[in-house]
Amino acid sequence: MTKESILIIDDEETIRDGCRQTLQKSGYDVFTAAGGSEGIKMAREIKPFLVFVDLKMPGISGTEVIDILSNDIPDIVLVVITGYASIVSAVESMKKGVYDYLPKPFTPDQLRAVTKRGLEHRNLKIEARRLKEEKESMEKNFITFVSHEMRSPLVTIQQYIEALRSVMGAQLSKDVLDIIERCNKRIQNLQDLVEHWLDVSRIENGTFLKDKKPIGLGSIINKSVEELGPLCERRGLSIRYDVSDNLPDIMGDKESILRVFVNIIGNATKYTPSGGEISVSTEYDDYYVSVNVSDTGIGIPQEHLPFIFESFYRVKGKQERQKGSGLGLTFCKRIMDAYGGKIDVSSKEGKGTTFTLRFPR
Amino acid sequence: MEKNKILLIDDDKDFLIATKLILENGGYEVFLAEDGKSGVEMSKAVSPDLIIIDMMMETWSEGFNVVSKIRTTESGKKLPLIMLSAVDLQGPYNSFEPPEEMPTVDMVLHKPIKAADLLKYVGQLLV
Repeated sequence: MTKESILIIDDEETIRDGCRQTLQKSGYDVFTAAGGSEGIKMAREIKPFLVFVDLKMPGISGTEVIDILSNDIPDIVLVVITGYASIVSAVESMKKGVYDYLPKPFTPDQLRAVTKRGLEHRNLKIEARRLKEEKESMEKNFITFVSHEMRSPLVTIQQYIEALRSVMGAQLSKDVLDIIERCNKRIQNLQDLVEHWLDVSRIENGTFLKDKKPIGLGSIINKSVEELGPLCERRGLSIRYDVSDNLPDIMGDKESILRVFVNIIGNATKYTPSGGEISVSTEYDDYYVSVNVSDTGIGIPQEHLPFIFESFYRVKGKQERQKGSGLGLTFCKRIMDAYGGKIDVSSKEGKGTTFTLRFPR
Repeated sequence: MEKNKILLIDDDKDFLIATKLILENGGYEVFLAEDGKSGVEMSKAVSPDLIIIDMMMETWSEGFNVVSKIRTTESGKKLPLIMLSAVDLQGPYNSFEPPEEMPTVDMVLHKPIKAADLLKYVGQLLV
């Protein structure tokens, strides 16, 4: 194991020599510097574990030395040496992240005690950082692991079903083919659930919204309408949108907002009977940009409205065209929260539902 | 007429079996390899007319290693290669990024793949 290295920066020769003797006897690697600039140079080279800095020196001040060292050398622990008269500045420097101070005159025992504590502090600091990094990497890997381990069996089952249909399809009766198709649908639902759950986990661990840029909601609305166009057509719904001129940009990332829009508009297609209409409109004021998604669907009973953003909440007895994952609106709400925005809903049974997404400008 | 030979490389045995059934039903002779290394060896041994490679095997980019190894062999230079991926390449949030010097494949397809689509694309590449 490499010896623990300690640097003493002090303009008084007696202090340097005294410290050197005491600390060398305790088994440390000791370096000394007579001034701030020399000390900084030396510290950059040897990267000491612990540095004692005299606060009052001619030339570059102790405070400046502290600033530079704490910035340049990772995990360094700094202790200031100070006369009784400058206790105040010692306290000031502790606010800057200095670990401790040693008032002059001090005894070898005091020096050893501070040194020991300082080095322990360094180890704890390093350990804490390591644990934090480990925790973060575990969280990240967990998502990666789950996405692979949960998706691949589903993909494989679907491939088997596909093989079954392709090899045997012609010989199977309609009843059997129906069963196979139902299996396929259920697996698809499970896959959607995994995707949504991953999305929600990604919000929690901060993968979404990592880099925010100014973006125009108009183009995203455009894209989501384009994406859902074929589905609307299949379900006999018309969709129209009306984006205000000069709609101000908001800060965010396109993908997350696109997913919110696709979710909300996708919901509208599920609960709107054929022949109905979905409309998307925008408005803005000095503080907010809002997007409204309205449908002429079956609506949501008042008593259910407060709960629909909760995970796996379902409005019983509602005729859905397609069972959802139960996490779609949870995802939307979390994303809107992450934007510092808001998602609201108003609905009239039998008339339709409007979702309003409000983004801060 | 001799059947065209297709080599499938994937570490998921079930996926291999399922895909083999589809391809055999489409009139191909199918060879299987369960990891990248034996895949590369088998490509030399059976000289297939087309190879289908899973992108994520032992490691996240094993598929790319296999592709570059096959591409460096004489017979593999112009061989039609299909990369299969269960990763959504469209979304920006997958943690995998293809290596900078990605060796070229003729086609990237997503898992699961419809039997009709697979046979259509394989047919196109074997013309």
